[in-house]
Amino acid sequence: MKLHFADYLIIFIYFIFVIAVGFIVKKRIRSSNDFLNSTRTTPLWITSIAFISANLGAQEVLGMAASGAKYGIMTVHFYWVGAIFAMIFLGVFMMPFYYGSKARSVPEYLFMRFDEKTRGFNALTFAAMTVFSSGISLYALSKLLEVILNWNFDLCIWVAAGIVMLYTLLGGLTSAVYNEVLQFFLIVLGLSPLVIIALHDAGGWATVKANLQPEIAHAWKYMGTAESNPMGINFISLIFGLGFVMSFGYWCTDFLVIQRAMIAKNMSAAQRTPVIAAIPKMLMPFIVVLPGIIAIALTKVALNDGDFRIPMDAKGGLDYTMTLPSLLSYYYPSGLLGIGITALIASFMSGMAGNVTAFNSVFTYDIYQAYFVKNKSDKHYLWIGKMITFVGILLSVATAYLAASYNNINDFLQLVFSFVNGPLFATFLLGMFWKRTTGHGAFWGLFIGTLAAVITHGLTIAEGKGGWISPVYEIRSGMGQAFIIASFSWITNFFSTILISLMTRPKTDEELKGLVYSLTEKVYSTEKRWYMKVAPLSILLLIITIILNIIFF
Amino acid sequence: MNIIEKFNQLSFVIGFFFIIIAVVLIGGYLLIAQLAHDENLYTGIGMLVFGLIMLKVKSE
Repeated sequence: MKLHFADYLIIFIYFIFVIAVGFIVKKRIRSSNDFLNSTRTTPLWITSIAFISANLGAQEVLGMAASGAKYGIMTVHFYWVGAIFAMIFLGVFMMPFYYGSKARSVPEYLFMRFDEKTRGFNALTFAAMTVFSSGISLYALSKLLEVILNWNFDLCIWVAAGIVMLYTLLGGLTSAVYNEVLQFFLIVLGLSPLVIIALHDAGGWATVKANLQPEIAHAWKYMGTAESNPMGINFISLIFGLGFVMSFGYWCTDFLVIQRAMIAKNMSAAQRTPVIAAIPKMLMPFIVVLPGIIAIALTKVALNDGDFRIPMDAKGGLDYTMTLPSLLSYYYPSGLLGIGITALIASFMSGMAGNVTAFNSVFTYDIYQAYFVKNKSDKHYLWIGKMITFVGILLSVATAYLAASYNNINDFLQLVFSFVNGPLFATFLLGMFWKRTTGHGAFWGLFIGTLAAVITHGLTIAEGKGGWISPVYEIRSGMGQAFIIASFSWITNFFSTILISLMTRPKTDEELKGLVYSLTEKVYSTEKRWYMKVAPLSILLLIITIILNIIFF
Repeated sequence: MNIIEKFNQLSFVIGFFFIIIAVVLIGGYLLIAQLAHDENLYTGIGMLVFGLIMLKVKSE
């Protein structure tokens, strides 16, 4: 693929703008709190779009298109079973604790609710996970640019990481959030024409669906048994593993996204942030999953009157990660191609900056300040925050090379999430809704749950991965393996936390005010317009989500 | 509010960005043979409309 001058110009303009946003925001940065946590003054539309955009990294855009080609319509479960329900639960039930407690981070909430060791455990695992996610984004972008444009892989990594470093160092979280909004619109407007053009070329949705293998042409029809679908899991594993454990574990506990809601102007806006973000999230499959489904249909002889191909990987299978770039290369002319490439670069930057800003905040406040240097001036923590941003980006570069051994980067990411987020949701669920949960219970439950995730990975094998203890059980896909790992770790954490909590002494009711559901005063909205209230809006979104599941059953 | 102050508004920055991109696409379509594809024109018009709307939105 060769780029025209106009394509390079568009990429260049984009770089200028993201760096300019950093300079615009720079003058607002006066304290460590401004840099690491922004301030609680950000408008609702910005927090909502940043909330979804922080998750819209390269692994989402490239990975979901890859999964669309690999698993077909079943990929929509990530949205219509997983994300939407979890985002609404977060807005309605959990944001009051995060926002109301005035914690600066999710690990800090754990410190307030439980104790120091639980915060430390979560802060360390979260820091590791953000570095992994950031590295995957970086790898995905660099591989893409190397394959389709013949750009040097190493150079791509360092230049891309350098630009993210520049604008996050300049404006901290605010700069990252503002750029996420710009990146969101660029991704949506840059990839929408691809869906329209490819769908038109394929002869419309009915023709595409008719040319898919039956088991990937339905969301639910083939979920009865694990053997009948390419994900290799049944509907119970899907609903519990993905819909409950992994999705709630990610959307309700991951500081990366929750941080965006925590900078909202007030409690009402903080609660509405994930709920309003659920609206574009619900429609996102039409932009990121549908291209993958169209691509796999286009490889059928009946539809493929041109020479569209998904490239092969080294093992002779389809390299699903290249699905979206292949479509861009095939359908986009010069000019629009520059938009498409820039949209992919934006998705990478959005994902990487989101992870880096969450990493620097957690590392500075929950590791450095909590354990190493407690009583220094704010200027010192601001400087440390900037240094940690620099270190975080270097660690991401190192992690990018690790990701290179997986043919579907989304599987890799789900594996990392299943280790960290799977057990974590049990800790939050018990911590927020059962006041008897103790610090010892939470810590050891988390530890045992994470250990269970590691052991389950060692005992199961999928696509040649895992089974390093003994390959006792084989699962058809890496994605299915991640769901099962998450489920086991959640169950182990849930019951071990209850057991240990019952044997140890809980905090007093006074200490738990504002941190536990039963001891927190309920705040009712005074807003008269129904669409400004969390509950009616949530119910409407749930109904639409159920309808979408029925349509694509 | 002068033009410099408007750049402190995120919606203005986003609108300005998409207008520039639209100018590149539409200008390319009209002036450069290699860029004379309908896809560029339609996407450019779409981005121009979006950019103008964002310029008018008062975000902060």
